[in-house]
Amino acid sequence: MKTCISCGMPMTKPSDYPLADESKDYCIYCARPDGSMQSYPEKLEGTTEFLIRTQGLDKEAAHQIAIRTLSKLPAWKGKENNIE
Amino acid sequence: MKTTNRQLQKKQTKEALLRTAYEVFSERGIMNTRMSDIAQAAGVSHGTVFAHFQTQEMLITKVVETYGGKIALRTHELAGSCEHMKEILSAHLAGIMEFEPFYTRLVIENRLLAPAARDVWVSVQSSISFHFSQVAGREIQSGRSINLPTHLLFNIWVGLVHYYLANGDLFAPEGNVIKRYGETLVENYMKLIQTDHRTRGRQG
Repeated sequence: MKTCISCGMPMTKPSDYPLADESKDYCIYCARPDGSMQSYPEKLEGTTEFLIRTQGLDKEAAHQIAIRTLSKLPAWKGKENNIE
Repeated sequence: MKTTNRQLQKKQTKEALLRTAYEVFSERGIMNTRMSDIAQAAGVSHGTVFAHFQTQEMLITKVVETYGGKIALRTHELAGSCEHMKEILSAHLAGIMEFEPFYTRLVIENRLLAPAARDVWVSVQSSISFHFSQVAGREIQSGRSINLPTHLLFNIWVGLVHYYLANGDLFAPEGNVIKRYGETLVENYMKLIQTDHRTRGRQG
């Protein structure tokens, strides 16, 4: 079983992959509509928005958690040091 | 070859220590446990524990990362195929029940833990809020659920479950909160959020 390099989600079925392409290392939720992988700023914004929308977190708290959580994933290792 | 065996042994010892720490934390609490308690329970010297985890915070964080990750993965597996809200809620509880003593410690103590461990707690919640929000969106759209913001629907549910778990000594002194109350919580939460067309008809 592969896990998404960008968000850590386990990918177990074709519909978990962008355009059902199982050769990809990132999941459908980390892809743009054309199947390419979202950039770090896009993913950071998306993760922050997800935490606010589904769990009701404060915007800044969600932003900080998103930075720390993404920094542990293979696609974004060390990224937390590159931004404010 | 010698090095490989040694590395393997080191890995096994580390995994055994994590497992022991998980069990001791589940039973006695996370902040209540000393490194020496884990060494004693694992049958190793205090020095062996320190050789693998230099500080208590490192040990706690690693245990929470390892077992929090397992809880999140299991929740994702169970909830991923659910079509309706009631199924999601039952799947959520089934996942918690497999780890109930440790999950309960996290409910009570996560606020006191280091940021890395606290982030894992949020990830565990994300593993269910992700599926919950998708199903809630569909049920609101189709008129089966009352129209509240997704995060409030979610927080009302987890608030209820976590309240029972945090006070498990009062609700289920035998130690099985989910087994005893799970079905009741699901049934009554559903009554809260389901739209009742008959009542609406009478009012209209």
